[in-house]
Amino acid sequence: MARRFLTAEDVRSAKSREIVVDEQTLVTPQAQEAAAAAGISIRAGGGAWVEPKPDRGPDAERAQRALPNLPEPAEGGEPGGGAVITAVGKNRAGVLAELTSALAQAGVSVHDISQRVVDGYFHLILVVELDPGTSFGPVKQRLECLGGPEDYAVRVMHQRVFRYMHRV
Amino acid sequence: MPFNDHEILETVRMFELETLDIRTTTLGINLLDCADPDLEATCEKIYAKIVHHARHLVATANSITADYGIPIVNKRIATTPIALVAAACGSRDLVPIARAMDAAARECGVDFIGGFTAYVYKGLSNADRALMESIPGALAETERVCSSVALASTRAGINMDAAARFSELVLETARLTASRGGLGCAKLVCFANAVEDNPFVAGAHIGVGEAETVVNVGVSGPGVVRSALARLSPDADLLAVAETVKRTAFKITRMGELVGREAARRLGTSFGIVDISLAPTPAQGDSISDILELIGVDRTGAPGTTVALALLTDAIKKGGAMASSSVGGLSGAFIPVSEDSGMIAAVRDGALSLAKLEAMTSVCSVGLDMVAVPGDTPAATILGIIADEMAIGMVNHKTTAVRIIPVPGKGPGETVEWGGLLGTAIVQDPGKFSCARLFARGGRVPAPIQSYRN
Repeated sequence: MARRFLTAEDVRSAKSREIVVDEQTLVTPQAQEAAAAAGISIRAGGGAWVEPKPDRGPDAERAQRALPNLPEPAEGGEPGGGAVITAVGKNRAGVLAELTSALAQAGVSVHDISQRVVDGYFHLILVVELDPGTSFGPVKQRLECLGGPEDYAVRVMHQRVFRYMHRV
Repeated sequence: MPFNDHEILETVRMFELETLDIRTTTLGINLLDCADPDLEATCEKIYAKIVHHARHLVATANSITADYGIPIVNKRIATTPIALVAAACGSRDLVPIARAMDAAARECGVDFIGGFTAYVYKGLSNADRALMESIPGALAETERVCSSVALASTRAGINMDAAARFSELVLETARLTASRGGLGCAKLVCFANAVEDNPFVAGAHIGVGEAETVVNVGVSGPGVVRSALARLSPDADLLAVAETVKRTAFKITRMGELVGREAARRLGTSFGIVDISLAPTPAQGDSISDILELIGVDRTGAPGTTVALALLTDAIKKGGAMASSSVGGLSGAFIPVSEDSGMIAAVRDGALSLAKLEAMTSVCSVGLDMVAVPGDTPAATILGIIADEMAIGMVNHKTTAVRIIPVPGKGPGETVEWGGLLGTAIVQDPGKFSCARLFARGGRVPAPIQSYRN
C-alpha cells in the first residue's frame, strides 16, 4: 500500500516480520526503533529501506529547470569562476608577492590589479579567474589565512556578488 | 577591470563595516500530509518530515557563505499552520507537537522554527482553539518554537473574542516564562492580514497556497542605508534621500536574490521570495532609528518621525522591486524596539512613546514589535493595544502585527535584558485608562467597506 509515512504504531500493529513500503515512504525514527526492537525488517524496492532523497514537491522540479534560465546581470566580467580579492593593511615589502604566489600555487590567474598606498597603509584589489576545475571555497580559505591581525587582511568574494550588486 | 575600484570597495565596505548580511534563509515545509488521527503519530510524522527536508539547510547556507563571502546569519524553518495539521487528531493539548518541532529544529541546527500558528480572523475551529490554548505551554516548554495567530484581516474584520483570549494567553505566557523576563512572548505574535511567505520569526509560517517546500530569504542592511545617507550632503532634499535609499535597497536586495537562487538550486527546491525588510539588530549602527534621525528628526519619536519612516519604507520597496521579481513577505522596515539600539535610546530619553510607535506602525512594514509593558498590565489593556494595531492593518489593507511582552515584576521605565538579538527593552507605560468595557463586549469588528477610500 502506498503510504507517505510509516510510524511506530504501524510497526506495532504489523502482522508479519517484514513490512514492505514504497521507496518514497518516510519511516519515522520511532518506527525504525520499534522495528529494530521487534526484529521486523522494513523493505522497499527489493532491498532494505533507506531514507529517500527529499521529495521537494511538484514545483521544485520546474524551479530547478527554470533557475538556470533566469537572466543574470551579465555585464562586467564573463560568468564563471571569477573572484575579487581585496587586501588592506600596513604596507611592507613582499605583500603582493605573498598574495600572488599563493594565487599561482592555487592555479589562479590574475586578470587585473590595482594598488594604492596612503599613509603607510595599502589597499589592493585583484580580479582573478580560477582554472576550470578549481573550486572557490579552498582558494578563498587559503588566501584569507594570509596576513594577520597586526599585518593585513584579505577578503575573497565571488565575482557574481559584484555583478549582482552593480549591474542590472 | 570589469568593476571599478569604487564599486569593489563599496561592496567590501558594506560587508566589512556596515554589517550587510542575509538575515535569514528560511525553508518552508508543508506539513499537511502529517495529519493523523493519533497525536503521537502526528508528532512522529512532523519530526520525521522536518528533519528529512531541513537536515542539510544549515550546511547548505554555510556553503553559500563560504563560496560567495556573503554572511547568512540565521537559518530557519517555517511550517504549515499547525492548527490545520493537528485538526485530524482532535487533541485539546498540542504542546507535544511543539516539542516535536523543537526537537526537529534542534536536530537540524536551526535556532527558530515558526508555524505553531492558527488563522482565526473570522472564527475558531476546534483545532484553532486547541492550538491557542496550547500556546503558553508550548512557548514555555520549548526553546525554538515560534507561534503566531492571525486575528484580523481586511476581508473578515477583527475577531475580538479571539483577540481577547490571545491577550490573556500573552499574559499567561509571560507568567510561565517570568524567570526569563517573559521571554516566551518574544516568540509570540498576532497579525492582521498575515503574510503566508514570511521568512522572519516569530511570524514565519507557510500558508496553504504555498508549495511543498520553498526557500524564502530575508535580507537586512540598515547599516548600509545609514552609511549611504550619512554620506549625503546635509542640503540634499527629500527626493535625494528617497533616491539614495532606493539605490541602496536595490543593492541589498540583489544579495537576497543571489542567495535565494543559490539556496534553491543547492537544496533542489523552489525559490519563493526575498523579504526586503530592513531588520535592525542591537549592534551599533545597525539601526532603523539612526536612519530616521539622519533623515532629519532629532530623536526617533519626535514629530516628523512617521513621515520619515513612510519615505524610508516606500523607497526600500521601490529599490527592492527593481532588484528582484520575487519580492514578498513583509518587506519594508522593521521597528522592533528592543532590538534597535537607537529605538531603545529614544524610549529612554522619553522621545518615543507607545502612542507614537503605534502611529509609526501605520507606515512601517509590520507593527508594534518587541514592546515591553509592565507585567501587571490588565488583559483588557493588552487587548486594546492589539485591537488598535489590528484596526490599522484592517482598514489600510496592510499587514500589522503585535509582539508585546508584559515583563513580570517590572514597572514603567525599568529595564529588562533579554540578550542576543532580542536586545534590551525599557518597559513602556500603556497609561492608566482602561478599555475593560470594550473587552467585555466581545464579538467581531465587521470588515471595513472596500470603496470610498479616503
